[in-house]
Amino acid sequence: MKGAASLTRSAICLVQIVTAFCILFPLLFAVVSSVRPLNDIYKYVSPVTWRTFFPTNVTFEAYIHLFAERNFGSVLFNTFYVALMTVLFGVLLGSMAAFAFAKFQFRGKHALFGLVLLTFMIPFEVIAIPLYGLVNQLGWIDTYYGIVVPAVANGLVIFLFRQFFLDLPDSLLESARMDGATWGRIYAWIVMPLSKPVTVSAALMLFISQWESFMWPLIVTRSKQYKVIQVAMSDFTTEHATIWNEMFAASVIAFIIPILLLLPLQRYFIQGVTHSGIKE
Amino acid sequence: MKARYVPYLFLAPAVVLLLIFKVYPIALGLKNSLYAPGFIAGLDAFVGFDNYTGLFADHVFWHSVYVTLFFNVFVNPIQIGLAFGLALLLNARLKGIQAFRSVSFIPIAVSLPIACILWNIMLNPEQGVMNSILIGLGFSPQPFLTSKDQAIWIIILIATWKGVGYWAVFLLAGLQEVPQVLYEAASIDGAGKWDRFRDVTFPLMKRPLTFVTVADTVANFLLFAPMYILTKGGPENSTNVLMEESFNSAFVYSDPGRASAIVILLLILILLIIGLQFRLLRSKV
Repeated sequence: MKGAASLTRSAICLVQIVTAFCILFPLLFAVVSSVRPLNDIYKYVSPVTWRTFFPTNVTFEAYIHLFAERNFGSVLFNTFYVALMTVLFGVLLGSMAAFAFAKFQFRGKHALFGLVLLTFMIPFEVIAIPLYGLVNQLGWIDTYYGIVVPAVANGLVIFLFRQFFLDLPDSLLESARMDGATWGRIYAWIVMPLSKPVTVSAALMLFISQWESFMWPLIVTRSKQYKVIQVAMSDFTTEHATIWNEMFAASVIAFIIPILLLLPLQRYFIQGVTHSGIKE
Repeated sequence: MKARYVPYLFLAPAVVLLLIFKVYPIALGLKNSLYAPGFIAGLDAFVGFDNYTGLFADHVFWHSVYVTLFFNVFVNPIQIGLAFGLALLLNARLKGIQAFRSVSFIPIAVSLPIACILWNIMLNPEQGVMNSILIGLGFSPQPFLTSKDQAIWIIILIATWKGVGYWAVFLLAGLQEVPQVLYEAASIDGAGKWDRFRDVTFPLMKRPLTFVTVADTVANFLLFAPMYILTKGGPENSTNVLMEESFNSAFVYSDPGRASAIVILLLILILLIIGLQFRLLRSKV
């Protein structure tokens, strides 16, 4: 009996190790390749030896070159700027709207909440082309506005905040009203400070979705000045297709930053994801 | 609570932005699908349903419908099955499970374009590490993305690598809500491992499974980045899904009418399939 149990245990462990290996392999391979000199990238690929998977002449020239020659500093700045602006305004506007939905009774509440639910069920890809026409009319092609503003109001974020606010006791808000606090004060000084977990998960979701967005920035920006990281990466497949070590280095930068954010904040991200899944 | 105008002040900024950037474009898309580029530059002509009837007579469009359906018939069951398996693994009570969970969630933080680029390099037919591993193991090298028979499978592989961890999060949350008492009760009744899975786990997992099935299907019907980055719909249109065809219509052939009509038809197709899934998953109870 005990032998069988430990056998299944080691079988599960084995499956887990194999799975983890499949998940990590492309990423580790990218890290290893990014610290090789350009001439070494394909030197050890075939035939397969230990040198295929371990770098022998470690160098950081690819990373240095990215920042010194390819303006990767400004690409990173753009991406951070766009993502942080989206997080800042997305969290502010989303939590305000959610506060109204969770704590007030007003005319048209159900219709408006239905509208919010509708917008997060309509996938972005479906509206991308008409949205381009609209943003073009506003004169926002090739601006930060064009990337940020359409992403700020997010139905999912409103929904997450609303679920959280519903659990805050009404008596807390009422006693603050008795003390003469305005609604604005109550929102800013009582409700938001109590809502750190949901704020972290909403911010993380907005940050990662903006960090990863590719199709929209591709459509809405043309010049190098506003290039974000995913678009800059896809340039490597077309324009500089042979500078492999830099391509690997750029992709390592592009995935290491969200991973470093996600791993310590995993708990919040998962809370956010699972709350959004429980719709009924 | 009192002060009638207060909630509207809190709502206004978000709702106005949602109306402008989410709701209005849907209406605009519907309108666009009824127009075509006119003879005068910048002035579009109203063409009624011509964009739609044009599509129905267009074999490129029908081939694209076929590719989209083929892709989804395989990618969705594969992803959902693996996500369920992964969720069960992640739910195992073992030492070091936290580390394994972290590893499984890592692809969530790797964007699809990056995943595509990395896999593309490894799968390069001449210089890629995958082929040298295959040769090392005694197999013959494969053409991968350059073959019209393999390209779609490679995209399924990449989408699965990227997506399974994400969908497993929902299923893991569902598994953790199954009360432990139910398993104990079933064991006392003499239920084996498989019986417990079939009679306890599976029925209680119905809700998260339905959600994952529907959400994953929508995501995969709209999947576009791998085709755009890796194949541009080729070779020989073998990966030319409807989103890729629509994108090309809009931004390569400058025909937003056709592009919008394709997206509207795709949306209708998705709604039909989701409706079917809801019905099937519910009737199984």
